[in-house]
Amino acid sequence: MSQKEQEIKFISGNVAAAYAARSAKVQVISAYPITPQTTVVEKLSDFVDSGDMPAQYIKVESEHSVMAALVGASIAGTRTFSATAGQGLLYMSEMVHWAAGARLPIVMTIASRGIAPPWNIWADFTDVISQRDAGWLISFASSHQEIYDSVLMAYKICENEEVLLPMFIAYGGFVLSHTSKPVIIEPDDKLEKFLPPLPDEKGWPHIFIDPERPMMHGNLIMPSGFYYEFRMKIHDEMMKSTHIIKQVALEFEKIFGRSYGNGLIQEYKMDDADVVLINIGGLALQAEQAVDELRQEGYKVGSVKLRHFRPFPIDEIINIAKRVDVIGVVDRDTAFGSPTGGAVSSECKSALHNTGIDTIILPIITGIGGREVSVEQQKEEFKILMKLKETGELPKDMIHGTLWDGVLEVK
Amino acid sequence: MIEKKIIEIAFHGRGGQTAITASKLLAEMAYECGFKDAIAIPIIGAERRGAPIQAFSKISRDAQIRSYCSVTDPDFMLIFDTTLLKIPRVFATIKEGVILIINSNHKIDFNNNLQKSVKIYIVDATGISLKYGLAIEGFPILNIPMLGAFAKISGFYGLDIMEKVIKKKFGSRAEKNMKTARDAFETVKEMI
Repeated sequence: MSQKEQEIKFISGNVAAAYAARSAKVQVISAYPITPQTTVVEKLSDFVDSGDMPAQYIKVESEHSVMAALVGASIAGTRTFSATAGQGLLYMSEMVHWAAGARLPIVMTIASRGIAPPWNIWADFTDVISQRDAGWLISFASSHQEIYDSVLMAYKICENEEVLLPMFIAYGGFVLSHTSKPVIIEPDDKLEKFLPPLPDEKGWPHIFIDPERPMMHGNLIMPSGFYYEFRMKIHDEMMKSTHIIKQVALEFEKIFGRSYGNGLIQEYKMDDADVVLINIGGLALQAEQAVDELRQEGYKVGSVKLRHFRPFPIDEIINIAKRVDVIGVVDRDTAFGSPTGGAVSSECKSALHNTGIDTIILPIITGIGGREVSVEQQKEEFKILMKLKETGELPKDMIHGTLWDGVLEVK
Repeated sequence: MIEKKIIEIAFHGRGGQTAITASKLLAEMAYECGFKDAIAIPIIGAERRGAPIQAFSKISRDAQIRSYCSVTDPDFMLIFDTTLLKIPRVFATIKEGVILIINSNHKIDFNNNLQKSVKIYIVDATGISLKYGLAIEGFPILNIPMLGAFAKISGFYGLDIMEKVIKKKFGSRAEKNMKTARDAFETVKEMI
């Protein structure tokens, strides 16, 4: 259980998520296996079985029950964790809303995969994006280390009394879940400095199970009651959580020495950039390589990693738009029938509405269902943005104003 | 080729021959012996025993590895099963300057279809595994002898690093594994 020294382990993204839950002193885990998430909860099962992690491990018959179990455990005042993906998250959806509505600081990693039909198990963030309006904070990790670090930061954000909301940390299935890289596992003394204390026997301030302080859970509220106001407060506090996210990223950097920008976004070579590509997940890290290679060829390009989709970093997007002429926003997800077809680009456009900024946003969709996106392909995306800036010329074959990059010819 | 910033290794095996574990062990050993960064990338589909399997390692002495993509232009190819050479997508990646390490107990005839700069080494990994009883349900485990041969040919890591990583991973089974590594290290030879 105890980790005296810092250790570098050569592990997969999934195993990094499991180590993070152990480092975060999670007390209750509930789990149901689904590809490509399964090895997260397998590793946690090993930790609990070997006595390496003093947690309760609740095996259940479905993802719906996973979240139901965690809702109960969290109401009782414990630190909780699970992981899922794709169809599992959709099956869990009812209880996902329940966790946010009850304001429970549950943390869950998502090894994102395409939604069926047809069956698909590879990287695609449509699963987590589908839970957009549930009231969970949604973040994306672009590297193995960032998965580990994001889980640690998540507890500090979610358990803050000004937030008290659950959080998803999503990363591409197989792209990060099954590839292996060196990951720093932090020692107990540093973790203790950073993490909030575990909830005491009184539990969370707003919801608890305590015979001395009887409280009704999950009751019916008439339209004249406070249901409406509860909803307003979730939105209000979600929006305000941007400040907590920034503060936690700063503290994290101070203690562990790893920077994640301002917590909401992370910029790369943006100082003199003419055009910028905004990415989520692993493609954001790979885009940095594309930036370096293009800068050697003389192109002034920059990259932004969008770390949080909920709360949406509105001010940061406006700030980027003020500095560049053209922004490409890349979605590895689909939002059918939306203004752009992708969730992130739609919201970036909406962030600029009525600001008087005339920066062009080019919506791009790529890598759907795990289709591989190469560095070369990302370099081409940058070149399309440069051309758009210089000549005003849009790429050919756009579909409803969006570039579906890397799509096969269909009839 | 060795001066290249990121060295890329492709593994081609059949389900059960432990090619995916090999890609992970290679990356980890490179990291252990001072490479700055390393990544192991398995290609996962609906595999089962006997199906063609691909995996990749990328190792880098200085630069951070930031791409999660599969390898299309490898520096080394480890072929666990000679029948895989007949698959067009495998054969197509045998490009100029690539070093092939093939599990075979006999010379392989490429009918002069390869570029002259391609170097080919063979090692009888199957024979070595069976000799030391490294098999599960009669299927030889090939990853460690193949990595022993790779250690010799690439010179990236020594048997000492292999032993360190294998002990960490396999505990009491490490010694048997190391015997196959040493044997392969000593017997791998260039196919002329």
